[in-house]
Amino acid sequence: MNTELLLRFGLAIGIISLGIFIYWLINQRLLVRAQNNVFTLFKQFPNKPVIVYFTTPDCVPCKTIQRPALNQLSGLMGDKLEVVEIDATQRPDLARQWGVLSVPTTFLLNARGEARYVNNGVARVEKLMEQLQTL
Amino acid sequence: MKSQTLQKVDHSALKTNQIIIITLNILAFILNQPWLAAFVALMMGIGSALKIPGFGFVYKFILKPRGWMKPDVLDDNPEPHRFAQFLGFLFMTGGSVALFLGSSVLGWSLVWLVVALAALNAFGGFCVGCAVYYWLVRFNLPGFTKQPPAGIFPGMKPKASANV
Repeated sequence: MNTELLLRFGLAIGIISLGIFIYWLINQRLLVRAQNNVFTLFKQFPNKPVIVYFTTPDCVPCKTIQRPALNQLSGLMGDKLEVVEIDATQRPDLARQWGVLSVPTTFLLNARGEARYVNNGVARVEKLMEQLQTL
Repeated sequence: MKSQTLQKVDHSALKTNQIIIITLNILAFILNQPWLAAFVALMMGIGSALKIPGFGFVYKFILKPRGWMKPDVLDDNPEPHRFAQFLGFLFMTGGSVALFLGSSVLGWSLVWLVVALAALNAFGGFCVGCAVYYWLVRFNLPGFTKQPPAGIFPGMKPKASANV
């Protein structure tokens, strides 16, 4: 009985892990896509870490969580960070080019303009800070 | 003529429904309890009949009043979401029947398929059942009349209200 339970639990974990792995692969593809489209945003890259933040006017978690988190991050890092906010309803072309399917979505680019992280959904300030530190 | 009228749809209620379906189905698998999968099927069936998310009452009476989950109201078509839930109900019913008839592999495969589709919807914002609905609209089937919100890929969660 316990063996069967453990086996089924292991199997469930395996299936969920496979799903997460597929999700990770999709994110890697998004990063490559972002990488190829960096210069749709910049004529000259600012040579510092950049967060590209896709939002829409009616996105509630964008207003209540994501925007305050980015404000807090900007306050902490000052000139060492650039946040580029894109309204996906105003710039559907950019949302399409960057492969954005939902909001909020944040891309973190390092100082060389390489896309290193993508967060589909809300990314809290702690997570963003952690990602910025590893850029 | 295809209808373009959008309604207010609270996606938090849909998400709650999906997360409960995912949780109960995984529990049903781990504990090897086909009746739990059948219960999920039943709730999805009741939800389809009443045109509400099957486990939407958890959001309506527990999560929302306590502020544990905030409303995420978007201009959207409710019909594709109902159709998606109905499809889920069919898969879950098929899975449950297979399990009760002793066909474990088929039964649990159908249950996991529902888990995967619900997870894609809850965490990825893509509703496969809705995409199927919009695809069927192209064949002018009776009852399939709604077009996806403007500028939204069929099945994707709308990015914003079309009209506020």
